[in-house]
Amino acid sequence: MSESQAQPVLDIRGLTVTFSGGAKPVRALDGVDLSLARGEVVALLGESGSGKSVTLRSILRLHPPRTSRVEGRIIVDGTDVMALAGRALEDFRGKTVSMVFQEPMLAMDPVYTVGDQISEAVRQHEALSRKEARNRALDMLTRVRIPDPARRLDAYPHEMSGGMRQRAMIALALASRPKVLLADEPTTALDATVQVQILLLLRELQREFGLSVIFVTHDISVAVEVADRIAVMYAGRIVEAGPIRDVIRTPRHPYTIGLLSTRAAGGRLTGKRLPAIPGSPPDLANLPLGCAFAPRCTFAGDLCRTSPPEPVTLAAGHFARCYRTEETGGRAGAGERAG
Amino acid sequence: MSTATLATETGQPPAAAMAPPALLEVRDLVKHFPMKSGLFGKAKAVVRAVDGVSFDVKAGETLGIVGESGCGKSTTARVIMHLIKPDSGSVRLAGRSPGAGGLTMKAFRSQVQMVFQDSYASLNPRMTVEDSIAYGPAVHGINGSDAVRRARRLLDRVGLDPLRFAGRYPHELSGGQRQRVNIARALALEPRILILDEAVSALDKSVEAQVLNLLLDLKDDIGLTYIFISHDLEVVRFIASRVMVMYLGRVAEIGPTEQLYGGGRHPYTQALLGSMLSMDPDRRTETAPLAGDPPNPINPPPGCRFHTRCRFAEAVCAASVPPLFVRGGDHAVACHMAAPGSGHSQAGAIS
Amino acid sequence: MLKAAPDALDGPIVRSPGYWATVWRRFRRDPVAVGALAMIAIIVLMAILAPWIAPQDPYKGMTLRRLRPPGTDGFPLGTDELGRDMLSRLIYGARLSLFMGVTPVFLALFIGGAIGIAAGYVGGWVNSILMRTMDVFFAFPSVLLAIALSGAMGAGIVNGLISLTVVFIPPIARVAESVTTGVRTLDYVDAARASGGGAISIIRHHVLGNVLGPIFVYAMSLIAVSMILASGLSFLGLGVKPPDPEWGLMLNTLRTALYTQPILCALPGIMIFVTSISFNLLTDGLRSAMDIKA
Repeated sequence: MSESQAQPVLDIRGLTVTFSGGAKPVRALDGVDLSLARGEVVALLGESGSGKSVTLRSILRLHPPRTSRVEGRIIVDGTDVMALAGRALEDFRGKTVSMVFQEPMLAMDPVYTVGDQISEAVRQHEALSRKEARNRALDMLTRVRIPDPARRLDAYPHEMSGGMRQRAMIALALASRPKVLLADEPTTALDATVQVQILLLLRELQREFGLSVIFVTHDISVAVEVADRIAVMYAGRIVEAGPIRDVIRTPRHPYTIGLLSTRAAGGRLTGKRLPAIPGSPPDLANLPLGCAFAPRCTFAGDLCRTSPPEPVTLAAGHFARCYRTEETGGRAGAGERAG
Repeated sequence: MSTATLATETGQPPAAAMAPPALLEVRDLVKHFPMKSGLFGKAKAVVRAVDGVSFDVKAGETLGIVGESGCGKSTTARVIMHLIKPDSGSVRLAGRSPGAGGLTMKAFRSQVQMVFQDSYASLNPRMTVEDSIAYGPAVHGINGSDAVRRARRLLDRVGLDPLRFAGRYPHELSGGQRQRVNIARALALEPRILILDEAVSALDKSVEAQVLNLLLDLKDDIGLTYIFISHDLEVVRFIASRVMVMYLGRVAEIGPTEQLYGGGRHPYTQALLGSMLSMDPDRRTETAPLAGDPPNPINPPPGCRFHTRCRFAEAVCAASVPPLFVRGGDHAVACHMAAPGSGHSQAGAIS
Repeated sequence: MLKAAPDALDGPIVRSPGYWATVWRRFRRDPVAVGALAMIAIIVLMAILAPWIAPQDPYKGMTLRRLRPPGTDGFPLGTDELGRDMLSRLIYGARLSLFMGVTPVFLALFIGGAIGIAAGYVGGWVNSILMRTMDVFFAFPSVLLAIALSGAMGAGIVNGLISLTVVFIPPIARVAESVTTGVRTLDYVDAARASGGGAISIIRHHVLGNVLGPIFVYAMSLIAVSMILASGLSFLGLGVKPPDPEWGLMLNTLRTALYTQPILCALPGIMIFVTSISFNLLTDGLRSAMDIKA
């Protein structure tokens, strides 16, 4: 997928987020660049401390202003998000950009029915009567394939099962027809048979509504199922990004390679040991000089330990932040068997 | 519903009959939780968490237990550990039940240990790592300094430098390190069976792989038997030699890993395995094998628990509970389509 | 992951600071909490050193000198309705007021704590019986209960202590029970049971250490209440009897000065206020310091 001539619907440049709540200031994001074309699905893949959720929250300006400092530029649909305030910011949230969370029980208000919450959200952004808003809510619940949607309009969140709640949350997020959908691990807390249903639903809705989606996950197979492009994050930086096929089949950053070889093993290595990335996830308050992954990297050299690498272009749209991409080329990724 | 002992059922040649009997035998376990309401706590509804579960665990194997919310796998684990008293049924370790036949509960507890999912909640926040590990041996009569030595040796065994970690508190460790401590603590009593209840589920993938490798190393070194409970089908496939699939408090299918993952016989097993996601961007999953959510174990459907969502369901499925039918070798399926003469139009078709 | 040499296991290990050491370190960094602690320390010192720092005898009064305003020669804070030096009475008053505030709470901490922990750990019908009994007492507003008990037993310090202790046992027992029940369901208690630990061993090693902290902090927050209740009892003629100096009692007896020298009336009230606020801030600070998350 070459660089699109059309304007990306979302463009993040140099996003840096520092939290000062604890003993030492923590740099959660360090110069993240990300762009999302219209109708595209980008997966943000990472583990704890990678900064994937922080990125999403920054787009919606959800960080507490007192203890966090956000620098950089975020442009969504032509609007400078960092400059928004007050009413303009409220309009932006939900109408232009909307979010689906991991735990619907925590994200929905327990004392209002699902129908009321969707209606209220819609009326925040559009001048609709109560009846029209309720119809829209019913329409949304039908579109997310909730069984018996008319009855569910008057149900409370706690009366629904996990999968239904997540569908209701998706209905809530899409009710005002946002341009961009941010999905923060929406299927992580769901059972396997339900996860598959929700992923398929999200794919369908994305096509139907022409949504542009950023999908945060820690599970590679989820990324493979939904994404056109993938960005792998580690310690607050994007360490590799590119079209999904390229990154999965020919990963070039040692971290991505490590993740994929662990995952790709599956049943074929039964009885033997998993190829595992040594060491622990990074401590964001005490990051090493140089590349944050170097302490765990089998390819690490002296240069890696002294200065953080800049992105190296590997193919059209595929780059990796690594000094050792020469050595990492030719390693097997998923879908290729090394003997 | 009783079950034929899987290890000796099939009338195989004498050599096989001399195979070691099961290390752990679980028979007809039942555990219901009444939901109390009203002033005096009259039971209004009953959560049938475990409703007739039977299986064997052979010495030296890793039995994987999979299933979704409400299937009862965690409750089963806690009942086996006797942290919860079963309503009925028996658990026998090498042929003896705890509390009878010469096996005290304390002795049973020293032979069957568990690692829980929440690595932080599993450790006393006020105890140092070595004190937490040494607690079990101390309770069993090992004197203080020996218990501490054993604790430090175990820390080393699980890959944590004792000099650096023994005096630490749980909140100072990462999730992976805490889980290693939990494993060390479980091994402190030198058990024969280790139950791992979603022990790696909360860890980052990179750390999960390390802990899985550790578990395999320990198993080889010490000769442990594992019961590995997980919702992650990929991980279970990697680590388990046999897998048991549970649904709504009952066993749906049990058998060697490759036979199940190659194409289980129970419709639920097929649906569950069919929900595993693809790793190939060009061959994405196009249909969801099951619709709806796993139902609640309160007031489950009569007869076969799965019949309300099964596309092969017939009248007999709602009328009677399918027994766990042994197909041959180690593989058993609880489905009317398996047993010939069950009344299902496809009876005998999947055996 | 190679095995270490056996003798390496006996070497000196890195010992992390214990829980209370960490709590103290966190507490130290909170200026408000440290200030409150300092204030309380000053008041306690004042009480202890009363015989040496009080300028006059708190019991000796001269009717000629009654109700002099603060700033009077020889009587920096004025005199009360019997001509006694206010400053000395305030200083000596700290003894009784602190005593009546702290002692009932600590007695209730032991008794109520034991009841609550036992009920919380054992559960079942034992829990129901104990807790419902506590609820019966808890249903009475504390002031009324204190007054009723004191009234029935008669005035006097000991009776006042007893009635205040009884008032505080139920709330402490409730908190102890709920904290213990919460801890009992945690995985590490299950793990201890799975290791073969008996009830006593588990309570001693696993429950107490995790439960005493929150109970203690809750109890400390009751000290301020106890002081005010004790003052109230003295004010009503129960509890401390004249001529003993106690701030609440002083508030009562100085009522007559309200229209002539209102400042005098306010002084004991200010002391009660400052002391209880300090205890409240102290317990807030302790609670934050004890809230150590991973």
